[in-house]
Amino acid sequence: MAPLPHLLQRRFLCQKTHTTNKWKTVKQVTKSNFADTLSDLKIHIAESDFIAVSLQRTGAVSAPWHRVLPFDTPDTAYSKSRHAADRFQLLQFAVCPFSITSASKLRAHPYNFHLFPRDELKIGMPSYSFSCQTSYLTTMAKEGFDFNACIYDGISYLSRAQESAARVRIGNPTAIPHVVKSSSKPSVADAVFIERIKSRVKYWRNACKDTSSKTDEALVRSLRKIVLGSEEHGSRPCINIDVCSERQVQLVLEMLEEFSDELVPLIIPGKGGAAQEVRVILTSSKEDKVLFQKELQNIEEEQNKKVRGFREVIDLISASQKPVVSHNSLNDFTFIHSKFLAPLPPNFDEFMCTLRLVFPHVLDIQQLMKEIGPLRKVTNIPTAISYLKDHFFAPIDMEILHEDTVNEGKIHGHNVLSISHLFAKLCSILKIAPIQSDNKNLVPALEKYANILTPCSLSPQESTDEDIRVWTNNTRKVNCEHLVFLWGFKRGMTAGMLKSLLQGSHDVFSKEFDVRLVDKSCAIVVFWKPGLSETFMDLISSKEICGSLGEMVSEGLRAARYGTYKKVCRLGILEADLARSLDKALEEPDCLWQGDSETNPLEVYWYSDSIINFDDL
Amino acid sequence: MKKLYPITLSRALSRALSSSSSSASAQSTAFPLKHVTKGNFESALAELRRHVAAADFVAIDLEMSGVTSAPWRESFEFDRSDVRYLKVKDSAEKFAVVQFGVCPFRWDSSKLSFIAHPHNFYVFPRQEVQIDGPSYEFLWQTTSIEFLAKYQFDFNACIREGISYLSRGQEKEALRRLSIAYEDELSDTWCNMKEVKDIPINRMADVLFAERIKNRFSEWRDGLLQDRNGGSQLQWNSNDSKQQFQTVFFKMRPALNLTSFTSHQFRLIQLVINKHFKDLSYVRVNGDDLCSQQLVVYTESKDEKVLLMKEVKDENRRVAEMKIQAAIGFRHVIDLLSSEQKLIVGHNCFLDIAHVYSKFIGPLPSAAEEFVSSVNKYFPHIVDTKILLNANHVLQQRMKKSSTSLSSAFALLCPQISVSAKSTGLTFQQCVQVEVQVDDMRSSNWDSGAKHEAGYDAFMTGCIFVQACSYLGIDFKLHSPSENLAHNEKLCKHVNHLYLSWINGDIIDLSTGNKVAELFGTNYFKKKYPNILFENIVLIWGFPSKIKAREITESICKVFGLTSVTSVYHLDETAVFVQFSKPEFVSDFLLLKETLEKSDGPISVLHPLAKLLEGGNTHAGNYETYKEICSSPISKVLFANQAEAVGIKWKREAVEPKIAVERKEHTSFWEENAVNNSTKSSEKSKQGKVHNAKKDMLCGNYEIIDSLNAAEVNQIRTNNL
Repeated sequence: MAPLPHLLQRRFLCQKTHTTNKWKTVKQVTKSNFADTLSDLKIHIAESDFIAVSLQRTGAVSAPWHRVLPFDTPDTAYSKSRHAADRFQLLQFAVCPFSITSASKLRAHPYNFHLFPRDELKIGMPSYSFSCQTSYLTTMAKEGFDFNACIYDGISYLSRAQESAARVRIGNPTAIPHVVKSSSKPSVADAVFIERIKSRVKYWRNACKDTSSKTDEALVRSLRKIVLGSEEHGSRPCINIDVCSERQVQLVLEMLEEFSDELVPLIIPGKGGAAQEVRVILTSSKEDKVLFQKELQNIEEEQNKKVRGFREVIDLISASQKPVVSHNSLNDFTFIHSKFLAPLPPNFDEFMCTLRLVFPHVLDIQQLMKEIGPLRKVTNIPTAISYLKDHFFAPIDMEILHEDTVNEGKIHGHNVLSISHLFAKLCSILKIAPIQSDNKNLVPALEKYANILTPCSLSPQESTDEDIRVWTNNTRKVNCEHLVFLWGFKRGMTAGMLKSLLQGSHDVFSKEFDVRLVDKSCAIVVFWKPGLSETFMDLISSKEICGSLGEMVSEGLRAARYGTYKKVCRLGILEADLARSLDKALEEPDCLWQGDSETNPLEVYWYSDSIINFDDL
Repeated sequence: MKKLYPITLSRALSRALSSSSSSASAQSTAFPLKHVTKGNFESALAELRRHVAAADFVAIDLEMSGVTSAPWRESFEFDRSDVRYLKVKDSAEKFAVVQFGVCPFRWDSSKLSFIAHPHNFYVFPRQEVQIDGPSYEFLWQTTSIEFLAKYQFDFNACIREGISYLSRGQEKEALRRLSIAYEDELSDTWCNMKEVKDIPINRMADVLFAERIKNRFSEWRDGLLQDRNGGSQLQWNSNDSKQQFQTVFFKMRPALNLTSFTSHQFRLIQLVINKHFKDLSYVRVNGDDLCSQQLVVYTESKDEKVLLMKEVKDENRRVAEMKIQAAIGFRHVIDLLSSEQKLIVGHNCFLDIAHVYSKFIGPLPSAAEEFVSSVNKYFPHIVDTKILLNANHVLQQRMKKSSTSLSSAFALLCPQISVSAKSTGLTFQQCVQVEVQVDDMRSSNWDSGAKHEAGYDAFMTGCIFVQACSYLGIDFKLHSPSENLAHNEKLCKHVNHLYLSWINGDIIDLSTGNKVAELFGTNYFKKKYPNILFENIVLIWGFPSKIKAREITESICKVFGLTSVTSVYHLDETAVFVQFSKPEFVSDFLLLKETLEKSDGPISVLHPLAKLLEGGNTHAGNYETYKEICSSPISKVLFANQAEAVGIKWKREAVEPKIAVERKEHTSFWEENAVNNSTKSSEKSKQGKVHNAKKDMLCGNYEIIDSLNAAEVNQIRTNNL
């Protein structure tokens, strides 16, 4: 604990430099200071109640409609995020363990890790190639991001899945902690095998220990080595014993255990991951054996560090089981899952399952924002901050504790501070006391916001709890069944024009309906009266279609149900224009997938006040 | 994974060697390469125009952000030429050019020496023109970045200062979109107004804002009218308003310049103006820089208003067109090379040319024939130094012991320039002098100090070309500057011949689109690789990962006979090519597989192929299936995932394989020497030996298993007899 006056003084300094230097206190971490930082971070994570994360990607969406839109179901939203997470790369990962000590006091420890998927082990991992959007790179360049530093000094990593694959691929010898005696009795073949190996090892050990041979000539020595099959492991003599099965490995280990305590066995894996041979190393004494085992352990730790790299941070966060706060958590966690855990599963539910095992509590700033304002207005961090500033008085006293407070050069990753700041502010506005009583569970007030990753759609928690949908004023729930996608209309048409065109075209449009443009090529129509969407779809595919609607169809108007849109997302047919994607999806033969997802129609929100405005999203 | 980059890696290795040895030398003159970025592009271009116009030939070299988008997209000997083109196409479409070296060479008859002007352009595909359509995106290959990083490539310079470009296709598209937008705007003027009216002002804040704005404008207009009648000046009542509304003159009309409103407020302003003021018009003027101006202009009559709107639109269009012009950027260099019709020299440059085409001309055609004829239109004369090095006996002898990679060829052929070769003590009688000029500095043994960049590589390529020409018997002393080098009788038979695939020794003639046999039958590669019968190949993927190639061969042989499988080749860990001895086996195999999958009786479980089909994810197709999968824009790292992403329909297609095979055979557009049934069995036995010998070298982690042992060869012989 720092003495109080010292602490006060530091706080005083912090406040004084509030406006100018506040963001300079994000600790920048690269390959060179990673190891040191890791131990600090470990302590800070243990001391904090929450961990904020923020990611810098090389790209997000290739076309406006690839974003998560209000009418996306969790599955389609997930598919879109997954598409981006598979292709793009993370270059920076900011982590900020923080606590809110009283209603208005925030203690934060921000770190910004610079990442690069370098193939440290020369095994084609973590990433064979990745995509970049030039606009993202240009923006980063404008912010003064140093790409050279990132590529030369960025920290590499392997995901958990990649690590297990890598272990097999590298084929490093592995030490055996202790041998468990097998219960089965050795067969005759086993006995013969053991005897053969035993005599070989015995002969070899004696030869190694035989001091008289030390005086031999070089030629004789090398001849002896060949005859004995003796090799060297570091400075110690060793012998390799070929094995054909796990059973034989077991037998060799048991035999060695009984045989002598100067021998240390190592398992050399073969190509398939199974043991290929057992290497027996002769140590000169008991002390030497301990020393050697320690050496092995160090090598293993070194190897682990090299293999896991930045993922150690993810593992630390996960191990702490602390709630993770993020803005736009769906995008963040699809990236985290795909880069640091395992390849993304095909559907949202599976994704949530594996994610919850690793991060039990994920809190999204946007979920909290929903409580106090219309979501559409505050979809990015700066607007959220200014929105809160304009509408609420909730001063937060931010205290950033780092030993080396001032960094040189450009500072990145301050978003993570904004996220912690926003979170503290929101808690104060919403009168949530976020102080953690115990580490395993969230305070009940936050529980209802946890693990809702999709910003726009209904989640199980929400649909059961009517109270929290305060923003239904300008949104209406609508069943996916009632939505129809329309495309192939005249270029440059607006939603209003399209609506008035449709209105007069057929009886189907005599009841209440709405039209919005998804992008320039495609519109979405909602039929508020149940059943009319089916009528319309039947109509548009029938031959008897006539009138102005028939004219539009003959000019190329096409329509598809929400299911087709789902298919587009699921198959990842994300073309620049939604119209093209829908066309392509219709060409694809319908396959097994259809059944399961169609049976449970989901509801999505419909914004009734204005068109879907991509600038706001 | 060394086998990933046959070209780049060998270059990398020799680069590493040459860099270490050159550091010891003090004789060379060191001044930097001419680096060109956004900042000095205009002046460098003007200078380059002069140099290119005077040049005898121009050497080029490109550095890319990557080569292959997936391991299975690397070059294999099992690639037919059309597949090879598809792989090159995929590479050129996905990766970006980050550096472009251009080095014009001019023969100076007074000095009896070539003068070279190496230029190193940093290129970056920045999106300068906002046209709708997909955002610019490109792929980085991790190993390629590491390679570039190893040679101190300046990524900051590339991304921050790199010169952007528009291809001819993109420029056309941008202009087309612009004119559509322009016409739309002209015709929709009234329509738009109606549209604006559609948006109701119903929020209280909006209503208040609209009311306030309305008053403000009417005050201003009334003020103007009074002013004209000699009335008093209008007084704004707050500082804030003064900043937001500034009276200016726009095209000789009084106007208000509106600033610091949100886009929503601008929409409301537009609405208010259209609704309440007949003599005011709301206009948006796009400036030369990025910002645009929002103005409210006073017009006296309706005609004048229409005139004003047209003027504004024309102005906006002109500015937008200028922006598009300015965005052409680096393509000016390519246009220059194309319009001067100079001889272009590259080293193993088929991929380079494909990049040039896709970045600066237009989308790559789907077939190599089309590509080749189109390239020929833009660049009628291209020489590949790798072809030259392998085409001439004398040169081949010189190069025998070393690789034909760029830097080792440079060290061997140009010892007087290349410092690294000094120590080898090799001297040649015929050495053409090359002098380097960068801005005002000249040197005849130049060492850039910034080696291994595209500009330096282009310079090396040019030097190799010059020496190679002299070995071919071209005497530059007799060469007149007016004569095009490409028409030189000693050179012309090599012009426009490019290696489509270095591994197979496939050469393509750009002027005819035909595949060319190598000039010397003694090609190293012809012996190394057997003829591959593409119609005999079946592609199997998605089988259980534990299955080894040997087991695949065994199980297939159990069904189709011992000699049925000629060879098995691992594409990656999830896919294999199996070459059968007869084409019928391909369709038989696919049919059998289909039948086995349908029945789940004991026969299918006990069948020899059951092991291969275990898990139910095993798929198979013929060579055309492989081609189709290669042509997909998707790139998954593992082939099995790729095939799945491209479409599960393959599984179904295999139901009627016979028809498919027959139909698709005709679609292959190249005359394949390889598709030749009269292959001698002796060659096949050679294949067996060679494969075994080369096994480790070629396949890295994977195994090639060749079922052909001596006994089997004999059996084939008897079968064929």
